[in-house]
Amino acid sequence: MNKKTTIEVQNLSKTFGQTKAVQNVSFKVEKGRIFGLLGPNGAGKTTTIRMINYIITIDEGTILINDQPVSPKTQKLIGYMPEERGLYKKMKVGEQLMYLAQLKGLNAKDAETNIRYWLNRFKAADWHLKSVGELSKGMSQKIQFIATIVHDPDIYIFDEPFSGLDPINSELLKEIIIELRDKGKTILFSTHRMEQVEQMCDDICLFNNGKVVLTGNLRKIKKDFGKNTILLEYDGDGSFIDDLDDVRINNRSTNFAEIRLLNDQDPQAILKTAIEHAKIHKFELVEPSLNEIFISTVGEDNIKTEEAA
Amino acid sequence: MMSWRQIYLVLKREYITRVKSKGFLAATFLVPLGIILLYGVFIAIFLWDSEVTYEIGVKDETSQIVASLQETSPQRYLDMTELEVDSLRTLVQTGELTGYVVITEENLTENRPLELIYSGGGGLALLSSIRTDMREVFRQEQLKRAEVTEEVQQIFETRIGVESRRLTEDGKETEDDSAFLSILGVAMGIIIFGAIFGYGGYIMRGVIEEKTNRIIEVITSSVKPIELLTGKMMGVGALAITQIGIWLLTLSLIAMAAAPIATLFMSGESTAEQMAAMEAAEEELPFIFSIPSIETSVIVYFVIFFILGYLLYSSLFAAIGSAADSETDTQQLILPVMVPIFIAYGILLHAMNTPDSMLSVIGSLVPFFAPIVMISRIAMTEVPFWEIGLSIFLMIITFAGTMWLSAKIYKVGILSYGSSAGYKDLFKWIKQG
Repeated sequence: MNKKTTIEVQNLSKTFGQTKAVQNVSFKVEKGRIFGLLGPNGAGKTTTIRMINYIITIDEGTILINDQPVSPKTQKLIGYMPEERGLYKKMKVGEQLMYLAQLKGLNAKDAETNIRYWLNRFKAADWHLKSVGELSKGMSQKIQFIATIVHDPDIYIFDEPFSGLDPINSELLKEIIIELRDKGKTILFSTHRMEQVEQMCDDICLFNNGKVVLTGNLRKIKKDFGKNTILLEYDGDGSFIDDLDDVRINNRSTNFAEIRLLNDQDPQAILKTAIEHAKIHKFELVEPSLNEIFISTVGEDNIKTEEAA
Repeated sequence: MMSWRQIYLVLKREYITRVKSKGFLAATFLVPLGIILLYGVFIAIFLWDSEVTYEIGVKDETSQIVASLQETSPQRYLDMTELEVDSLRTLVQTGELTGYVVITEENLTENRPLELIYSGGGGLALLSSIRTDMREVFRQEQLKRAEVTEEVQQIFETRIGVESRRLTEDGKETEDDSAFLSILGVAMGIIIFGAIFGYGGYIMRGVIEEKTNRIIEVITSSVKPIELLTGKMMGVGALAITQIGIWLLTLSLIAMAAAPIATLFMSGESTAEQMAAMEAAEEELPFIFSIPSIETSVIVYFVIFFILGYLLYSSLFAAIGSAADSETDTQQLILPVMVPIFIAYGILLHAMNTPDSMLSVIGSLVPFFAPIVMISRIAMTEVPFWEIGLSIFLMIITFAGTMWLSAKIYKVGILSYGSSAGYKDLFKWIKQG
């Protein structure tokens, strides 16, 4: 397979005052793939994304988009939906999309065609003359999607795209992302909720504390970790789980637990213990979840989370 | 490197969305309406002011004064010589008379001061007009008693007038319309003062709106902050010129219609007294009835100082807006920008009476005061060209500086959410940029 790199980040660093927001970060996003930028809040994802979008300047390192350094020109190749989303409330939907499309370099005629297409596609053709302030939250989220993709760029960047979306729009966005990928477009999105990524991403890059801790193909990364996680469904007293040695419990509810085996702990021994204490509905040995991979790579004590991104 | 296409797109959006807004339409058309109304009230006051009369009872024991007083103002002075002082007092107390005065022989011959006993109504204007009337009537009576010749009597009647004309540099004498020019100068200064606040505020709120709407990051992924800032300032500037243009046009239409309007007021039941009031008004404030022509150069300078003043301050207002998260946040940051505007306003009021004093000259050269002070001086007095040139030059230099600083603050500020910044942060941002 001939892999073409669309976004290449090399030794990127950014410092705000005393805070080293991004330190020596490198990763590659290949054309036609969905790339996930993962990590807790405050890990440096948004800062990196802003530099890729040429919104803030680079302190050190380089970012190449289709082999060109970032510039106002590369900005036009990207459709960007920031985490902080918003639109002009008093402007009409049509005018607003026209303005944003023209800022991205489209001429009025092409912009009009694209706006019509997407409004029809989202069953919103009659919103053209409505002002954004009149729209419901869900409706304005749809307009926000259109604003991001209306100029038909090759690259799409979504920063925490699913936060604050209602379930319908969440599904819609997933659909759009997959559809764009199938058309050969490149998608990069960031999230702090790992489980979302598992379903969609081809490649990932794990961030912690301004640094990249792991990057590569998601399938391969998971495979490399091996099948060392037990999914356990049971009925009855689950307190025995707390007494297990050499394990880490990641996901737990009253009758479910995700148990990561450490130090070559034998899964059969755990099954045996479990049968003695509770009624077992399911016992499955699987690859670890991304969250588990993140924790075991970074080390539990080194995960730094900040509220302000 | 700025892209003019992007700036134009921003400018167009700023201009069109604002020019279509209800607020703009209301302000643009209500202000001239307000001016017309004010103008009408102005004329009305002159015409009907004299209708309020204050009645003063006169008990004239000399019986020689009251007749002449009644000649001066028949409504005001009533002959109440027959009444006792006690009943006069009662009349004042019950409000049927504003006051009374008792005139005796001693007042005439020994110059003993008259005593006006009154309810306090009428104010200072009444007191001084009674004083004038009394002096006049007493002088006439005393002259009559002294049996001076008519010639001498006429000498006392003389009131020498002073007419003024301006001598221009090229040796022409022109009508002196100082009173009008002072008011014009102050009006221009106040318009620029108001415009700096008004349009500067527009810019500031526009910047804050983009931050609170959270659209700013979408925009900055397409447009450079400096392009956005420039486009905004030009868009609101174009709006300002549109609005002022409409106002000036309306004003000149009013000026042309002024005389017909005035006659309209008179054409009703115009008594001789109203006519007299009209004439008096015309003498005092001639420009109400015929607005003298304003020199073209003054209008050109007005536009120049208007634009420069707007640019200078709006760049600062934009920087403040970018540092704030909401309008209430701006209060502590805005003070250092407000202070020079108000100082300039103070100097403007000073310059109204003494346009060539040291303070006025210096005030008109300092860039932050110049747009307000210089334009009023230009309207009022002959300002040497070098002063105007220097003032414009200094303003352009200062604007370049403020724009440079503001662009740096703006660039960082628009993407900073959460905590409102203080001046310490602004300095940090300037260094960072």
